[in-house]
Amino acid sequence: MNGERDPASSAGSRSLLGDHPVGPVLLEVVGLSKSYGPVRAIQDLSLDVRIGEVHAICGHNGAGKSTLVKALVGLVRPDVGVMRFDGEELSLRNPQDAQARGIALVNQELSLVPELSVEDNIFLGGIDVPLLYRRRRLSERARRTLDALGLAHVPLNAAVESLAIGERQLVEIARLLVRDARLLILDEPTATLSKPEIDRVFMATRELVAQGRSVIFVSHRLDEVFDLCDRVTVLRDGRVVGTHMIGEIDRRSLINLMLGEMEGAAAARHHVSERAHSGVDAVRIEGLSVPGAVEDFSLTLERGIITGLAGQVGSGTSTVLRALGGLVPDASGTVEVHGQSVRLNTPRLASRAGILYIPNDRQREGLFLGQTVESNLTVVRLRRLSRLGVILRRRSQRVARDLSTMVGVGLDRLGSPVDRLSGGNQQKVLLGRALHREGTVLLALDEPTRGVDVGGRADIHELVRDAAREGASVIFSSTELDEVLDLADVVVTMFAGRIVSVIPRADASASSVLADMTTREREGEGRP
Amino acid sequence: MNAGVFGALERIRADRRRFGWADVALGLWIGVLTVLVVYGATTTTGFMTVSNLKAILTAAAFVGIIAVGLTVIVLSGNLFSLALGQTVAVTAMLFLYTLQFGLALAIVLTLLLGLVIGAVQGFAVGAWGANPIIITIGAAGLMEGVAVWLSHGQSIVPPASATSYQRLAEPLLGVPFPVYVFVALTIGLAVAMRRTRFGRGIYLLGENRVAARAAALPVTLLTTAAFALTSVFAAGAGVLIGATSQNASLLLTGSYTYDAIAAALVGGNAVTGGRGSVLRTAGGAVFIATISDMLLLRGYTTGGQILVRGIIVVVVVVLTNLRERSR
Amino acid sequence: MRRTRISTARIGGASRFVPFAILAVMIATMALLPVVTDYTVRTANVYDVFQNFSAYGLVALALGITIMAGEFDLSVSSMYLLGGMVAVLTGAGSPLVGILAALGTAVIVGCVQGGLIAYFRLNSMPVTLGGYLVVLGITYILGHSKSVMYEDYNVGLRLDQPIAQVFSIRSLISLGIFVLVAFVLRYLRVGRDVRAIGGDRRAARVAGVPVEHLLIGVFIVSALGAALAGALLSYSLATASPTNIGFDVLTFSATAALLGGVSLSGGRGSAVGIAAGVLSLSVLQEILAIVRSPDYVSSLITGGLLVLVTILWAPEISKWFRTTRVASAVESKRVQG
Repeated sequence: MNGERDPASSAGSRSLLGDHPVGPVLLEVVGLSKSYGPVRAIQDLSLDVRIGEVHAICGHNGAGKSTLVKALVGLVRPDVGVMRFDGEELSLRNPQDAQARGIALVNQELSLVPELSVEDNIFLGGIDVPLLYRRRRLSERARRTLDALGLAHVPLNAAVESLAIGERQLVEIARLLVRDARLLILDEPTATLSKPEIDRVFMATRELVAQGRSVIFVSHRLDEVFDLCDRVTVLRDGRVVGTHMIGEIDRRSLINLMLGEMEGAAAARHHVSERAHSGVDAVRIEGLSVPGAVEDFSLTLERGIITGLAGQVGSGTSTVLRALGGLVPDASGTVEVHGQSVRLNTPRLASRAGILYIPNDRQREGLFLGQTVESNLTVVRLRRLSRLGVILRRRSQRVARDLSTMVGVGLDRLGSPVDRLSGGNQQKVLLGRALHREGTVLLALDEPTRGVDVGGRADIHELVRDAAREGASVIFSSTELDEVLDLADVVVTMFAGRIVSVIPRADASASSVLADMTTREREGEGRP
Repeated sequence: MNAGVFGALERIRADRRRFGWADVALGLWIGVLTVLVVYGATTTTGFMTVSNLKAILTAAAFVGIIAVGLTVIVLSGNLFSLALGQTVAVTAMLFLYTLQFGLALAIVLTLLLGLVIGAVQGFAVGAWGANPIIITIGAAGLMEGVAVWLSHGQSIVPPASATSYQRLAEPLLGVPFPVYVFVALTIGLAVAMRRTRFGRGIYLLGENRVAARAAALPVTLLTTAAFALTSVFAAGAGVLIGATSQNASLLLTGSYTYDAIAAALVGGNAVTGGRGSVLRTAGGAVFIATISDMLLLRGYTTGGQILVRGIIVVVVVVLTNLRERSR
Repeated sequence: MRRTRISTARIGGASRFVPFAILAVMIATMALLPVVTDYTVRTANVYDVFQNFSAYGLVALALGITIMAGEFDLSVSSMYLLGGMVAVLTGAGSPLVGILAALGTAVIVGCVQGGLIAYFRLNSMPVTLGGYLVVLGITYILGHSKSVMYEDYNVGLRLDQPIAQVFSIRSLISLGIFVLVAFVLRYLRVGRDVRAIGGDRRAARVAGVPVEHLLIGVFIVSALGAALAGALLSYSLATASPTNIGFDVLTFSATAALLGGVSLSGGRGSAVGIAAGVLSLSVLQEILAIVRSPDYVSSLITGGLLVLVTILWAPEISKWFRTTRVASAVESKRVQG
């Protein structure tokens, strides 16, 4: 529906050009393309950002947002296309170049040193900071910057490690401001923040544009986009599918833009599960909470049913799985497996309870890169493959061969170190380790097909369905809508740490799931 | 015996990856060393004699046993222990002291002491994340203090009545007994590390501690066991050294710690853990013993030997690290 | 995690006083000694304390700085010996020349070690272990495997002559350098940058801190500190010895640094704290000397302290206690349930 905005939008926001002067074009991107091998990450991308504007970039996973951002800050070089900043053409070799021009990025990975003070961090590594740097003039400048960003209550000599993450983010922004950043790119800045912290970020952003700077706001949180931004550019499949003034578009249209024709054509591709219940409870989760990440998560997982947790960065889906896997010691709540309450303080306890967790960061937390494929496949079942402590070689090899064949990794690779495999194959090995393991009640898979191509993904999904058919209960999380719709029997959407909805797959549609992933409450039920 | 040769063989067997420039560098280094050793062997007077070769093996045996045990800590990703020399001295002292109760009991008690010393350190590292290097430095100091205190500053000698222990130091079929122990322990541990759950667990732990934890491996237990095992091996060396010197005090500490670490590093084990093997360490120990012997025969002073050892360590550490990095 | 625990509002917070608390305890013990026992404590003992301080203090400072930068210099114990040897061998004519030569050697050693560690991104432990052996070997070679006498006894006497009854030139030099380093660490940009590369190296690099240059500098400073301490001590004793007193120096320095608030995870610590740590151990040593306790007690206490401090400040220890506490809480909930 055109021209209509959600009536319950909070006052005090403005999205029309009227409120503050938006100037001429600061950043111009024309025909940008970048491919990684055969994969075209972005194609023929054009957009512009004006001085004093808050410009949102929206798009579902894989739409090309992160590649665009990387190109803007010099982390990747585009194959084709032109970027102009202040009229001058940009040729960025590295992030330092970008910063020197005045383009800066703030994302989840902050570059603050926790042990140092706020003031120290603000001036850390700055090129024109004098040797004897704690001078009054600099301190005053830091103080002014912090105040403008809403951190008047934070002392300059406070240790960064004592600040909450929202405050830390603002300190990072303060550093960029002190270096005269003119265009700040905020990549999912509110993903892990509490409401008051989000308000502070909004206030800071408005202050920034009032000072004549520009902000690119990459976010999946559509409410915030409507509250804060002047214009929004939607990406899909690496292309720009539309740039609109905020006043000219509404949520429903925005979501449709993001999805494109997914509803129709893609639906034909998906496997649509018809069964959402098996009647036998496997795992019951009650009131699972993790301070700062998950709030009151309650769900019953049934035997043989695949539950998909759909949610973006910061929604808590990953944390729920980690908690089930025993990796979150300060989780509270109760978990019952087959009616018995279990302790999940450590991964060993989780394993004993029959829960097998596969992490999403395969390189850091999942695989043993220097070890062989066989080693990686058998790591969670060594006890059963040994007698009296000695590993039974033939049995181990047989199991590894079986698993390897199942996931589609060539048998000739069994003895190779895993770091020699492609990303997709690595993911297959990681997943293979979870299959067909005796005693597994629940498979908790965090992004099961990350980095795997379409064909491989279909294969893996079939394997997961096999595992469910053999009696395991499966819970997986994914930021990819496609995956959730294809694999899940039951779709659970999460936003900001809470469950938004629980629907059987047959009743879910792409747009309804996406809508739920991007808002605090279901459409039509009003806002908090 | 060359540093890295074992490593190269294992790697070739394990995978068929392309050889990068770091491998070329390592290959060159091995080549240079081989040439040097051969050159030294042929031109050093007195080197190629049976008695000299036996001396090399004996020297290698003591350090080798300690080094091979240390490999378990290195593979587990806990760097190394700086308490090895002290462990040897203290266990040697206990051994000679308990000989009055019989040889078998003495050996058992000594190994048990080694186990406990190691397990305590390992637990602190595994359960609480204490820095392994510092813990072992502290443990070394504690051991020194306790040893001097209990022995009233005097060295321990075996009781006059006991003679059975001398078998441990004597040659058997012409080769000193410790050499047999070295070979047997090396093979035994090498097999254990490759074929048992414990060994596999250590490799995985060293390769990626975070992933090991996420995969529900018993991290604390593995770490405790790793340190305990290293300490037991050091205690074993202590038994043999005590039997050989027939006189034990803190002077026995000598340079065993640094020699053992050098052997593990020179053999080509990655200090970050997860990559390497017991065989490599054994090779490193023999190699160092060979070089030291050659230098000694050629008139190099203590200083010269230490210096050469140090240079080899630094070069191998750089090359090993480069190779790992390029993977 | 969104909300981190608010551990300290300001830098250091309460924990920054621990080194001084420990020092206070040590001083109190020494002061109370004559009250509780028959031993007397004279100004000569205070002089001894400062002499102990100058024997190892700079080595602890050197090691502490490398730890703050996120590394560990195992070669300090042999650099100490080399500094002494070079100073004695080259300082026959003028002690100042000897000192400069020792410092020059230190710069070379520091450059090589720092360079390898920085540019090859190596773990500092095995590299400095190799460095330890190389430096030790050189020391032996220079001294022909023997101790070397320093002819000019007067230099030593002058260095150790009591000033204001409790100080000496040697201890004043050490204290002076501590003050200088404290100033640099606190007020100069390099000081902050050193802690930055120790606290979070990736963040520091991204922020633009010249990591490689700093690392080399840190290892140069470390070698300098050890060499100077060794040189001064050798002049004082009029001998330089290649004997490996390795563990003693290393244990002492590590304990002093850790007691002084230097954190093994990097990024935390101060020169003043390290000074307090060194002083604490110096007072302790003097107390043991006063009561004429045998040498091994010193090893025992220092070793024990090191183990204790390492465990108490181990990263996962609080988590371990929390885990076991949470487990029992869940248990009790179930029982009541």
